[in-house]
Amino acid sequence: MGMGGQFVCCNVGKCFTLVLGVCLLGCDSRPPVFHPNLVYMRHQKLAGNLADFEKPAIKQQVDDIERLVTLLFGTSDAPRLPGSRQLDWSTFLDIVKLRQAAGPIDGAGAAARSGLFRRYCARCHGVAGDGAGPMAPFLDPYPHDFRRGIFKFKSTPSTIPPTGQDLHAVIDRGIPGTGMPSFKQLAPARRDALVQYVSYLSIRGLFERELITIVALELDEGERLVPWRLQEQNPDRFEEELEPWLDVADQIARKWMDADAQVTPVPAPDVDWESPVNVARGRQLFFSTLTNCAECHGNTALGDGQTDDYDEWAKELDPTNLRALRDYRALGALPPRKVRPRDLREGVFRGGDELDSQFRHIKNGIAGTTMPSIAVELCDADIWSLVAYVRRLPKDPMNHE
Amino acid sequence: MKKTTGLIIGAVTLGLLSAFTNAADWGNLSGQFVYDGQPPTPPLAKITKDKECCGKFNVIDESLIVNAESKGIQNIILYLYPETSRSRSRSHSKKTVKIPIHPSYRETANAEVKLDNYKCRFDPHVSLLRTTQTLVLGNADPIGHNTKIDTFKNDPINYTIASGGSLKHQFPNAERMPSRVSCSIHPWMIGWLLIRDNPYMAVTDKDGKFEIKNLPVGSWQFMFWHEKAGYVDQVTLGGAKQEWKKGRAMITIKAGDNHLGVIKVGPSVFEE
Repeated sequence: MGMGGQFVCCNVGKCFTLVLGVCLLGCDSRPPVFHPNLVYMRHQKLAGNLADFEKPAIKQQVDDIERLVTLLFGTSDAPRLPGSRQLDWSTFLDIVKLRQAAGPIDGAGAAARSGLFRRYCARCHGVAGDGAGPMAPFLDPYPHDFRRGIFKFKSTPSTIPPTGQDLHAVIDRGIPGTGMPSFKQLAPARRDALVQYVSYLSIRGLFERELITIVALELDEGERLVPWRLQEQNPDRFEEELEPWLDVADQIARKWMDADAQVTPVPAPDVDWESPVNVARGRQLFFSTLTNCAECHGNTALGDGQTDDYDEWAKELDPTNLRALRDYRALGALPPRKVRPRDLREGVFRGGDELDSQFRHIKNGIAGTTMPSIAVELCDADIWSLVAYVRRLPKDPMNHE
Repeated sequence: MKKTTGLIIGAVTLGLLSAFTNAADWGNLSGQFVYDGQPPTPPLAKITKDKECCGKFNVIDESLIVNAESKGIQNIILYLYPETSRSRSRSHSKKTVKIPIHPSYRETANAEVKLDNYKCRFDPHVSLLRTTQTLVLGNADPIGHNTKIDTFKNDPINYTIASGGSLKHQFPNAERMPSRVSCSIHPWMIGWLLIRDNPYMAVTDKDGKFEIKNLPVGSWQFMFWHEKAGYVDQVTLGGAKQEWKKGRAMITIKAGDNHLGVIKVGPSVFEE
């Protein structure tokens, strides 16, 4: 059964008509499996153009990558965790929960045995979490592609993965101002299964990317990634050959496991942090070269400053190279859109309006976007002044002078 | 007895050291990349922000700089590239390549390498950094910049740098490819940074010339890369066409000078 069939029986009423619309336009007929990350293969020039994908030597390398990813991580119906001897993955990811999130939709409500991700997430995020589900072209911003392991709204510095709690917060709250709704109506255990599955898809995606990078940059055309013939002939030797690849997966997972220890601490603000003096200080910083806030968010803070750049996902599509872009589109990528800095006068904060998260988003920057970290230039009290100013902006008159 | 052993070890070490510093064991690699066609004129960069400051510097699009007279291609990055799948495989672990480093590189091993935001461009356009060195990011402009470096093997960075400000950063891991340096506020500002754990790398100058000094003798794989071309994979060397698959070429380094001569690269390599 194609994905279209499953969506027709989706139980979220309000998107029913939209889904039907999609189906009339040509329903996503991709089978619900993990599709190889062909876009990144093209980006890394594993295939220099579309025709290269037809070359037997390159086809074999693409197959090798997918076979190795599947060997370690299983399939979209039957997820698996790498059987590493160095790292106990089960302390981080619970295979029972992953199975509940993966697979075809089976049973509703508390009786659901599998398929949570396909029921609640895949229509936007895609079965592989590639952000290219059938609804994706109609959403702005596009649904998130988990496979880079980059998350915007989190408590850790931009280069560190999110904590489980960060992912929970997004699923609970949704992302205001985007198509991402709150899933608070789901039982906590099911939300937890989804958080785990999102982590699993991210780590799986990162592992696949790393294999693609290695094949593209270290192997010659046609060179094999793994000597598969040993799998039956000499299983012990085969296990040995797998070890370096398990190391690669372990290294990725370790970063996720350590994320809790990397949360950016938020010092309590001074009692008068929202005083007019501090708001004025925040305003001064906003327009200074110390922060460069106004450069992108605009002198009016309407988000109309620098609007000529792309985020990390769009940049991977080499958006200024039209020939490459045509290839990416043919491989299933959505048309790249330019980054729109947030309109700070809307008073809608995608990362939530909790003080802690606003402090961290200013201090750490927002991973995957053009928003840089300000940590080097500003002390904590200054960051609180900026938070005060930004929170004040929706009520601020447009012309000060 | 102990003394004798010590003496013997000392003698052997000395012998090894002198072997490595022996002129017969090191060679220099040089050459010149030349554009095989009509040199293009680089267009002016599209200044979309801070026009009153950046507009007066006549910033150009530096993605392909060819000297009008010498036809030399600037900013081709070349480096020793011993990476292979074999260096990763357990069963071949003994073959892991250890690169001898000439002692002359010691004094720069911990040096600071400057990368400035200057006149609304990155200066220099291409920077070379060893994992033991420190990158110093500066901003000499009257406006604010941010510097974003998209590394793979290291944590990428993205910091705002105030006017007149600077910051130091170390990258502990070698990168396989040059990393993109950009400024999100001024999207025309693009630079490249190559981070390696050995000093054997170079970038071609305004005449397309390069030299890597004191390479260990032997047959080595090199990578040739250019931001517009990607892999420099089609070249004409000594009149003969060569395909350097994925920008890689095996080059034998003999003691003394190894001059590759003129390496011609056609316009098609720079079109995608």
